[in-house]
Amino acid sequence: MSQIHVCSIGDLPPGEARRVEAEPAVAVFHVGDAFYAVADLCTHATASMSEGYVDDDATVECPVHAARFCLKTGRALCLPATEALRTFPIVIRDGEVYVDMSADALSEAAE
Amino acid sequence: MDDLLHVRSLVNSREGTVKPAIYTDPDIYRLELERIFARSWLFLAHESMIPKAGDFFTTYMGEDAVLVVRQKDGSVEAYLNQCRHRGMRVCHADGGNTRAFTCPYHGWSYGLDGALNSVPLEKEAYRDQLDKSKWGLTRVTRIATYKGLIFGNWDATAPDLEDYLGDMKWYLDGFLDRRAGGTEVLGGVHKWTIDCNWKFAAEQFCSDQYHAPYTHASAIQVLQPTAANKADGSPLGEGQTAKPVWADALGGVQFSGNGHGSAFFFTGKPDANVWVGGQVSAYFREHYPEAVARLGEVRAKRLAGHNTMFPTLSWLNGTQTLRVWHPRGPDKIEVWAFCIGDKEMPDDVKDALIKSHARSFGPAGFLEQDDSENWVEVQKVLKGHMARRTDFCMQMGRGFEERRSDGIPGLTNYTFAETAARGFYQHWADMMSAENWGEIEALAKVSEKELADV
Repeated sequence: MSQIHVCSIGDLPPGEARRVEAEPAVAVFHVGDAFYAVADLCTHATASMSEGYVDDDATVECPVHAARFCLKTGRALCLPATEALRTFPIVIRDGEVYVDMSADALSEAAE
Repeated sequence: MDDLLHVRSLVNSREGTVKPAIYTDPDIYRLELERIFARSWLFLAHESMIPKAGDFFTTYMGEDAVLVVRQKDGSVEAYLNQCRHRGMRVCHADGGNTRAFTCPYHGWSYGLDGALNSVPLEKEAYRDQLDKSKWGLTRVTRIATYKGLIFGNWDATAPDLEDYLGDMKWYLDGFLDRRAGGTEVLGGVHKWTIDCNWKFAAEQFCSDQYHAPYTHASAIQVLQPTAANKADGSPLGEGQTAKPVWADALGGVQFSGNGHGSAFFFTGKPDANVWVGGQVSAYFREHYPEAVARLGEVRAKRLAGHNTMFPTLSWLNGTQTLRVWHPRGPDKIEVWAFCIGDKEMPDDVKDALIKSHARSFGPAGFLEQDDSENWVEVQKVLKGHMARRTDFCMQMGRGFEERRSDGIPGLTNYTFAETAARGFYQHWADMMSAENWGEIEALAKVSEKELADV
């Protein structure tokens, strides 16, 4: 089971996020016309990125210590975070949103 | 009983005297923070200010900074605004919406439920040995709401909010329950400081109609419909009431127990007081039938008059100001004033009410200024050693208290009487000298009997 079902497109309005229980937990975001998936756990301290503040420029601010991350690349954009969040491919099929957590996708994301 | 500072020798509600050291003594003030403010029901916020999950408002209980937070399940909790690590304020905003409260000092972060969720370097520095479940924000022991007003109390043994309000509920309903749908806060919160003891402000709103005709004479003068003010002698505002309600209204003052008190009037028409704009007065006239159906005639017409819910929540009917006198030492208060309107008010009436409220009782309000001038000057006089030892007279209307049979509750007296002031200070002395709420209630039984049959 490499693709995990998140929700229907209409269930996640733009500007919102959802946590997906997986190993590791994933945060899925809807920004503008696109969906993004990153590791839910902040790389700095214990915080759920799905609770973060989403910006229109496809960045998310950690709700706990205000580190910002790029949702496209996972890169940490400011302190206190220095490590990138892992990213995962999104698959949209028949109006449903999936996160691809296959080993290939994971190693690709880790590169 | 444990009258540590001998406050019972400073207040004599039977004789009607007060020693003004109660307004100046730092030891008395410190004991007030413990025995009054950490045991009484204190106003925190109006429900309309924090409607959604994550909405919060920062305020004070006495001098303690607190956060009032709407929970994910819709309930309200309040916490000390103090990090458990080194005591820093975890939130510096006046209010807003958030998902976490993160201390700006070392970064400890708390959830909406007050739980400590995240500690920087938890693994490396604390070696994963910190039991985060033991270090959540300090929760305000009890939260209760009454018709949109949210209150907190640190004392688990205090009476329930509605029992604490007692007869005062009848008067508060007249302010909050005129129309279906309840009330909301209009505009923001006005905050300013006055260099006086909190009891001057609280007691005046509790009991003192007597100051109004003299202290506010200049304000009344400029509002009079005379040729000196406006060439044709018409009232200044369209539809504005012609004169202050006490000019020809019969009424009274009442003491509700537990330190609460207010004034009431029997007016001919459902008019707000002279300093409220004509548009607002017209609104009250228009919706008078609904108010009568909900509250009866006396309260529906009561669109003027002062009130204090002990210790520091006061409001004025008609001008719709609700304020907290946050204590800031024995000789300073921070006033936080909220304009309270019916939710169903049309927007243009809301705007007019916000203006009436600010013009009369805002920080530069022409009535507010009269009052604070008096309190500040009395506080200055009390810098004198002899001044602090000299009794204040609080004997007005002593022995003329009654219990009415027409349904108006409380221990009542003529409009110009100090019955509620005597009750206010006696309750203050009872709370200051009692070790727990059981004792406070036992003392209150004796005090209120004495107050009623001098």
